Amino acid sequence: MKATRRLVLVAMVLAIAAFAVFASPVAEKTAEVVTLKMEQFSGSDATLSGDALRKMIAEFEAQNPNIKVELQTIGYTDYFTQLQSKVVGGNAADVFELNYENFVAYASQGALADISSYLGDTSGFNKTALNAFNYQGTQYGVPNSFSNCVMFYNKALFDKAGLAYPTNDWTWKDVEEASKKIMSLESGLWGFYRPLTFNEFYKGVGQNGGKMLSSDGKSFTVNTPENVEAARLMAGWQIDSHIMPTEAEMGGMGDWDLFKSGRLAMLVTGIWAFGDFTANCPFAWDITVEPGNTAKATHFFSNTYVVSATSKHPQEAAKLAQFLAGSKEATKLRVEASWELPPVTYSDIIESYLSITPPDNREAVFESLNYLVTPPTCVQQSEMQAIIDSYLSQIVYKKLSAQAALDACQKELEAKISL
Amino acid sequence: MKARRIGAIGYQALAMFLAVVAIVPFLWMVSTSLKSSGALLALPIEWIPKNPTLDAYRRLFAVSGMPRSAMNSIIVTASAVVLTLASASMAAFALAKIEFKGRNAVFMLFVASMMIPTQVTFIPLYLIMNDLSLVNSLAALIVPYAFKAFAIFMLRQQMMNIPDAYLDAASIDGASLGRSFFSIMLPMCRTSLVTLAIITCMEAWNDYLLPLVLMTDSRNFTLTIILNSLSGQFKTNYDLLMAGSLISILPLLLVYVVAQKYFASGLQVGGIKG
Amino acid sequence: MSASGRKGVKAAIPFLLPSLIGALLFSVLPILVSLFLSITNWTGMSPVSLTRGFFQFVGKHFVGLENFKAILSDSEFYKVLSHNLYFIVLYLPSMLLVSMACALIINSPRKTANVYRVLYYIPVLTSWVAGALIWKWLLSPTYGPINNVLALLGIEGPMWLQSEAWAMPSIVIASVWKDMGFYAMIILGGLKSIGVEYYEAANIDGAGKTQCFFRITLPLLSSVLFYVIMLSLINAFQLFPQVMVMTRDGNAGPNGATMVMVERIYKYAFKYGKMGYAAAYSWLLFAVIMIFTVIQKKGEKKWVNYES
Repeated sequence: MKATRRLVLVAMVLAIAAFAVFASPVAEKTAEVVTLKMEQFSGSDATLSGDALRKMIAEFEAQNPNIKVELQTIGYTDYFTQLQSKVVGGNAADVFELNYENFVAYASQGALADISSYLGDTSGFNKTALNAFNYQGTQYGVPNSFSNCVMFYNKALFDKAGLAYPTNDWTWKDVEEASKKIMSLESGLWGFYRPLTFNEFYKGVGQNGGKMLSSDGKSFTVNTPENVEAARLMAGWQIDSHIMPTEAEMGGMGDWDLFKSGRLAMLVTGIWAFGDFTANCPFAWDITVEPGNTAKATHFFSNTYVVSATSKHPQEAAKLAQFLAGSKEATKLRVEASWELPPVTYSDIIESYLSITPPDNREAVFESLNYLVTPPTCVQQSEMQAIIDSYLSQIVYKKLSAQAALDACQKELEAKISL
Repeated sequence: MKARRIGAIGYQALAMFLAVVAIVPFLWMVSTSLKSSGALLALPIEWIPKNPTLDAYRRLFAVSGMPRSAMNSIIVTASAVVLTLASASMAAFALAKIEFKGRNAVFMLFVASMMIPTQVTFIPLYLIMNDLSLVNSLAALIVPYAFKAFAIFMLRQQMMNIPDAYLDAASIDGASLGRSFFSIMLPMCRTSLVTLAIITCMEAWNDYLLPLVLMTDSRNFTLTIILNSLSGQFKTNYDLLMAGSLISILPLLLVYVVAQKYFASGLQVGGIKG
Repeated sequence: MSASGRKGVKAAIPFLLPSLIGALLFSVLPILVSLFLSITNWTGMSPVSLTRGFFQFVGKHFVGLENFKAILSDSEFYKVLSHNLYFIVLYLPSMLLVSMACALIINSPRKTANVYRVLYYIPVLTSWVAGALIWKWLLSPTYGPINNVLALLGIEGPMWLQSEAWAMPSIVIASVWKDMGFYAMIILGGLKSIGVEYYEAANIDGAGKTQCFFRITLPLLSSVLFYVIMLSLINAFQLFPQVMVMTRDGNAGPNGATMVMVERIYKYAFKYGKMGYAAAYSWLLFAVIMIFTVIQKKGEKKWVNYES
């Protein structure tokens, strides 16, 4: 009967309406208590960093009884897609995390609140880190962590080859020689790993005395002779001296896994590897400042907590951000959880960081800070990186010489990216 | 007789080969989920973990809100299946068996909607949900299932293969269109309906991006959101990933196995002669 | 024998209503919005409302057909289109063959058929994130089991995902693995609805198994196969998750060998802050799919027979 069908339809509509009511959000708390929503990705480990973050928040709530924090942790892979959607819909959390790459894009689009007036004393922050999140003169975020890259080396392999350990003064030449000696010990060993990607390249360019942008930041200087030489030498590790496996030879294995399996002598990667290597390397290892060619240059990575432009409680949000990023309590928890470097200059925090081993040579982390180069940044950050990456890979795949590739890269960047 | 034996052996060989191809990756997944964090990419490749551990599962279940999110996923999935089957079968019926002006246009519209990749309609869809104030409610995850072009397409295909004669006979006997639909058409489409139930179940259960963006209240999270919250910025936790995937698959597998009973044996039951 | 009850829009509307409303709200409307976005230079990162000031927003960022012109004059578009076509040429026939084989195996009255039915479907239930990762390892040239097995047979396996020539075929293999159970089930539905009387009559006439297959099964399956081909074509053009997971995220494969349309759309929309550009891209993709579908539909009259 028509009636039965109609009844079924009505029942379905009612059922759905019931669910809608059933699942509606919790009513707003009373006016005295401010509830802040926060979302982030870096504290994702269920045991170490995630725990530390929860403790930090608990401490903040204890010190600020009128503020409650609702934290959402989202996996890194989809974090930015969902964040972008929320920003577009005007639903971004009060406080959210960004990485260095995306900061400029969001700041330039007016998605972030100006928090300069809400920030208290910022003298404890590392200046470079704090400035990284200043866009066109306005402070939009506080750095919550600080990472750079160092060179890790496998002590056991060096002992086996009878070589002295790498020092802070090593250059690319030293790396090549040591690699050749170690690789001659037995087959299946590799000397060095540092792929020719955008991140490694802008650093490598610095290590050869060059730059990728002009001093005023208004034009690209990608195909200068120093840069071409840097590209050629770096690609050479894979295609000339063969001290580094090509992507095919890696066969889908990660660089960390290669190092942990004891078959890689030297690896350039971030200090966030400390926890993993400590737990999983069956051999002794240590670090040193990354070798350069004619100069030293090291990476700078940082994540930041920012406040949404649509937040209804920007002052409390900024307070939360600053606490989690730079307070003594929070940074202490961060160091204890081996969750990257806190971006602060407090000597006692730094002392406690240095005292944790392995690696023994933790000073190298701070020594590296003396040679920081920040990557070229612009609003079209991701696109620029992708273009450069694609030309760098052509060098490694022997499709183009270093000169030809960088020339073509320069041309395409000038055409597509506005600085 | 010999030909038949060769045929039988050939059948078994092919069937088993395909089964191995289908299953081996899955076994790898199980194996990885039981590996301790350090051994993930040991060489030579370990098929059977040296020190199997349930650590990955433990860490996943320790994430707060698991049971609630599982419940949410079940609610959303069940409602989605009911909604899709009901609305798609009705629409397919109209498109297959009712003649009306603009029928082809409507059908082409439905098919064309499948040709725009979701990546670009994602944000507009989110904005629409936003403006309908559906954000942060489970209903928001369910209502889009009222329109599934793929389901309509599939059911229409099957309905077009059912001779009109059945419907004509029913209308002669005085049955209304609705009655014919319910009592004649639907039972004859059982295979497609069950197939679609399974497919919709899978889609709703595994749906990730839309729930992630829409649900801001942790009480409304679905299972996939919880399972994916542990992927890190610098490191992929393969053991967690595989364990999470397995946890997601098992209920679906259960549904699938149970649904096997409902597949009709397929004979077109006679009712019309000639 | 009148079909008078089954005529007219009035009769059709109650049946169409839920789907139509759903279609309008969750499909047509987003698609229309994306059409508007395609004529803007919107980054996709600033707040937008559909109800308040949407058209002003479009006006503010209006760039006309600029996006379309830019895409069509960039060689990248043709490169990715060719990659999609390459995928389809490899994938479609393989998938049809394998799914058909699976469907026939499951259709057998033997008891083992039930076990196979479940086994073949397990890949379908696996999420692409997990599935693609697993295939990445399986296909590892130095450490993966596939090359190890090939070595045992004396064949030197290719570099699979790390080689320009074999990257796309690797994706095809993984895709066929994932989809075979899915399409097999659909084909199975078609197989089961072929009346037994056809085969009985053929048997009486002394027809062999192969003859039965080509003279009875295939023709009667034609409508199902047509549907499967159309569906898989539309899906194949939207190839995406496996490419993202299996090939290095930045460059989509060795030298961009697996860069495909939707991968580009996703990157422009969510990574490069060029939402308007991405919208235009997806409309061009739509046009391509539409062309293929229309061609296929023209073939429908020739190749497919419907029982009614």
